[in-house]
Amino acid sequence: MNSLAVQVSGLHKSIGPRVILDGISSQVRPGDVIGVIGKNGAGKTTLLEALLGLSPPTAGSASIFGENSLHMSAGTKARIGFVPQQDELIPMLTGQRQIELTAAFYSHWDGALLKRLAENWEVPLDRRIAVLSGGERQKLSTLLALGNSPDLLVLDEPVSSLDPLARRQFLQQLLEIASDERRAVIFSSHIVSDLERVANRIWILKDGRLLWDGDTDELKNSITRLHIRATRELPATIQLPGVLILRRATDGRTATATVRDLSHESLPVLEQQLQAQIEVEALGLEDIFLELHS
Amino acid sequence: MFILNPHSGVPIYQQLIEQVRRLVAGGQLAPGTELPSVREMAQEHTVHPMTISKAYSLLEAEGILERHRGKPMRVAALRRNQSTMAARLKQLEPQLEALALSARQLELEPQDVIDQIRKKLGGKT
Repeated sequence: MNSLAVQVSGLHKSIGPRVILDGISSQVRPGDVIGVIGKNGAGKTTLLEALLGLSPPTAGSASIFGENSLHMSAGTKARIGFVPQQDELIPMLTGQRQIELTAAFYSHWDGALLKRLAENWEVPLDRRIAVLSGGERQKLSTLLALGNSPDLLVLDEPVSSLDPLARRQFLQQLLEIASDERRAVIFSSHIVSDLERVANRIWILKDGRLLWDGDTDELKNSITRLHIRATRELPATIQLPGVLILRRATDGRTATATVRDLSHESLPVLEQQLQAQIEVEALGLEDIFLELHS
Repeated sequence: MFILNPHSGVPIYQQLIEQVRRLVAGGQLAPGTELPSVREMAQEHTVHPMTISKAYSLLEAEGILERHRGKPMRVAALRRNQSTMAARLKQLEPQLEALALSARQLELEPQDVIDQIRKKLGGKT
């Protein structure tokens, strides 16, 4: 019995000369909510599609519940829910008809859950999809992915057009899934503050590689910003272990440094060396993301 | 009862730990008080359940909370002297850091600051 929801090893994907995924390896355990962040074009959508077996990788492999995602059994496929960035709804159907159509593909379907969520999320099921707003379509598309009570739910930018209230209800639904410890969620979003709330692990994707793959809490503990205020001109080179970015102010006496894995014991020594006071600032996820990309 | 800010640089589980410690030390959470379940807390604050269970487990290990099979977490009976002095002093570290920083900014002599602290604590100067 393989207890991993997802395992990817050495995933590469090139289209022509362009490298989109450059060797990605990771694991998703049941109970995980993985938040995927990255700039546009960082490879988020390609990663999610390759992981699900929707587009074959150039090298490497992905498996879901122990089966290679390119050759999954029908039973394993039925345990997956996917909300693509561009929905695949049929415009001429009503929401209700679309739900019935999708349900027909599954042996197990939780109609009661969908009815309740459609009411909570205010999705008008009696209207044709063609006349729904972007947010309503997105909610409907998410509902469809929840209908088979998936053990692995993968969402690609699912909340971008939801209002704050609908987003919060959506996040609560994700947590509902994650608190069942056999199920997992992978979800990419530009709304970093949502991921910060509900994701226990973060993947930061940059230039086709995973810049961070670990606990949200550890990420916050790992990256800190130092504010250095010296009484005299700072030296031309400042020796800082784990420094990612160093910015000097024009006055020559103040600087900020973003560092990885700061050792607090080294601060007094550094303060002495630089004749400076150093304040440590803990960073939120959004700041961390910006610092890692500047 | 708790104020958790997911967007702070301080991880959510640490925020929860600090608040429980403070409320227990201040007597607002009396021994025997039941805390909301992991699920309730996670739903109320819309955060991952592991975040809450991590905080509860660490507080249990510290002896501040106790777990009873099938029942909610409870505030443990006060066991003031069970944690070592070093451990208790360590809890004061953030406040000491802040105090030291302010004292330096105000260009105060260490001895004067120490005298003031003694006075506050009711000791002899």
